[in-house]
Amino acid sequence: MTTQTVAIIGGGPAGIEAAKGVAELGFKAILIEKRDRLGGTPDEQKYAALTPDLRDTQTALRELIAPIENHPNVEIMYNTLITDAEGALGDFTLKGVQLGKEVEIKAGAVIIATGFQHFDPGRETQKYGYYEFDDVITLTDAEKMLSEGKFVRPSNGEVPKRVCFIQCVGSRDRRLGNEYCSKVCCGISSKQSIEIKKLIPDCKVFIFYIDMRMYGYWENEIYWKAQEEYKVNYIKGIATEIVRKGDKLLVKGEDTTFRRPMEVEMDVVILAVGMEPSEGTKEMARIFGLKQNKYGFIETIGGPLDTVSTNVPGVFAAGACTGPADLEDSVSAGGLAAVKAMAALRKLEAVTA
Amino acid sequence: MEFALDLSANKYADVPYEEKERLFNEMKSDERWPHVLYGCYECGICVASCPSARFYDFSPRIIAQAAAREDVDLLYTLMNDSVWDCSQCFSCDRCPRGNSPGQIITVMREVAVRNGLQSAKEALEGYGRIIYKIMSTGTQVSPDMLQPNAFPDWGGHVNEISEHLEVWRKALPPETLHTTETGWKVDEKTLIELYLIWHMTGVMDMIEQIDEGLYMILVDVMEERLEDAGYDVTFD
Repeated sequence: MTTQTVAIIGGGPAGIEAAKGVAELGFKAILIEKRDRLGGTPDEQKYAALTPDLRDTQTALRELIAPIENHPNVEIMYNTLITDAEGALGDFTLKGVQLGKEVEIKAGAVIIATGFQHFDPGRETQKYGYYEFDDVITLTDAEKMLSEGKFVRPSNGEVPKRVCFIQCVGSRDRRLGNEYCSKVCCGISSKQSIEIKKLIPDCKVFIFYIDMRMYGYWENEIYWKAQEEYKVNYIKGIATEIVRKGDKLLVKGEDTTFRRPMEVEMDVVILAVGMEPSEGTKEMARIFGLKQNKYGFIETIGGPLDTVSTNVPGVFAAGACTGPADLEDSVSAGGLAAVKAMAALRKLEAVTA
Repeated sequence: MEFALDLSANKYADVPYEEKERLFNEMKSDERWPHVLYGCYECGICVASCPSARFYDFSPRIIAQAAAREDVDLLYTLMNDSVWDCSQCFSCDRCPRGNSPGQIITVMREVAVRNGLQSAKEALEGYGRIIYKIMSTGTQVSPDMLQPNAFPDWGGHVNEISEHLEVWRKALPPETLHTTETGWKVDEKTLIELYLIWHMTGVMDMIEQIDEGLYMILVDVMEERLEDAGYDVTFD
């Protein structure tokens, strides 16, 4: 029955949790995923360990996915892209393409969980030389290496002796238009610094930052741990440019603590790239007529008290498609979206009965 | 503000890195180190509470941060040029991370003294007389140190007192204060114990590094008294 079906677009952590919520509460969930597997960005980008608890990503994702894989109330549509939608609360018709075949999906409510994409560090400026130097990489590039249990200089495969992170790349920058904080990068950099130190104990690891934003338990669980146990050097000051010096990288910045200009040689530089709305998020906003904020994220209408309702009744949004979000945010919002979607449909049923 | 403290990375470029590292390892291996140093947020609460920071280009935050980063070069600079500006009042013991910049400085100063750094010698130069007094007698300031010419700001009254010092002291009710060469009467047994403590805890070794003349005078005084008391102690 259409009024007891919720379509969820996006099979990442938020979408999986939303589908699980809907199914376990007794409605039918149709989970629509463009790839041929679930897990979203943490899976697609091959994250090594999750922040903040350093659990193995694949183990944690399997745990998240297992309850919906053979659930009688869940239908998972892989390789499916939504291209159009019509209807209103209680009666939506979604049109899409599944492996070249047109499909139509009927649902009473829709949850958008199409997530984010990482900032492209070459988008606006080449000051960090991401496309110029092999040893300038992003957090996601580093995750990929760490998930394979190694960390080396991409240019020559050698074990690095000095590694630094540059925070806020693509975030908190009026010039780039991304004025917001991407929320997770401080934690991920600190987490990766621990992983690097575990792999290479005598490697010097630096984090160049504007503010360290490690809220809640991330503070003591990752920030303090990295600084106190692993002696990661946190240096307040953002690099202005990277140049080549022999086979090393010369990072130029200010060490504001010690009030002096800083030029330090590094073997690997990791750019802590922030979050931007994914193409899928922007596309779903267009298809469903959802308001977007100036950065392109889907705007939820309830401020801090309702983080999943959109301007279109019956369409909800959860996770990083609404703005920078960590896993805790995404999974929490996924569950909330399931509740809100079902509540809207129950109310509708009560009125029409 | 003009900065008096030069924090440039090459301030002591002439000192081999290995030597700086050796001194750092001596700090780090001090058993107090992990209990007085965690990590630094750069919040500045220590500087805010620091009386020295009001008057000198001195920052307990910079010291804690350099220690947290294990910045060997900078710690060497600070050990030479900065730690002596601390008044060791421990007002900075309010760090949210649990650091004690004052105690980090205590450890750094002790390493500087033990290794006879020039800065330690200079910083302690003016204290030779007091060190001699306290280590040989167990009391720091004695009445006969109050020479009129040393304290002109005390006014004419000080002349009158110093002329009849013994009488004035005898006017004090406690008999133990009827002294002029020491702050109070120090028991022989106390002195022996003090000398043994200076010897056994390595204080005498520190003095030897800093001021050899003073060391020799103290050894003379101590050896004689210890021998009389039946202790066979040799200072090397």
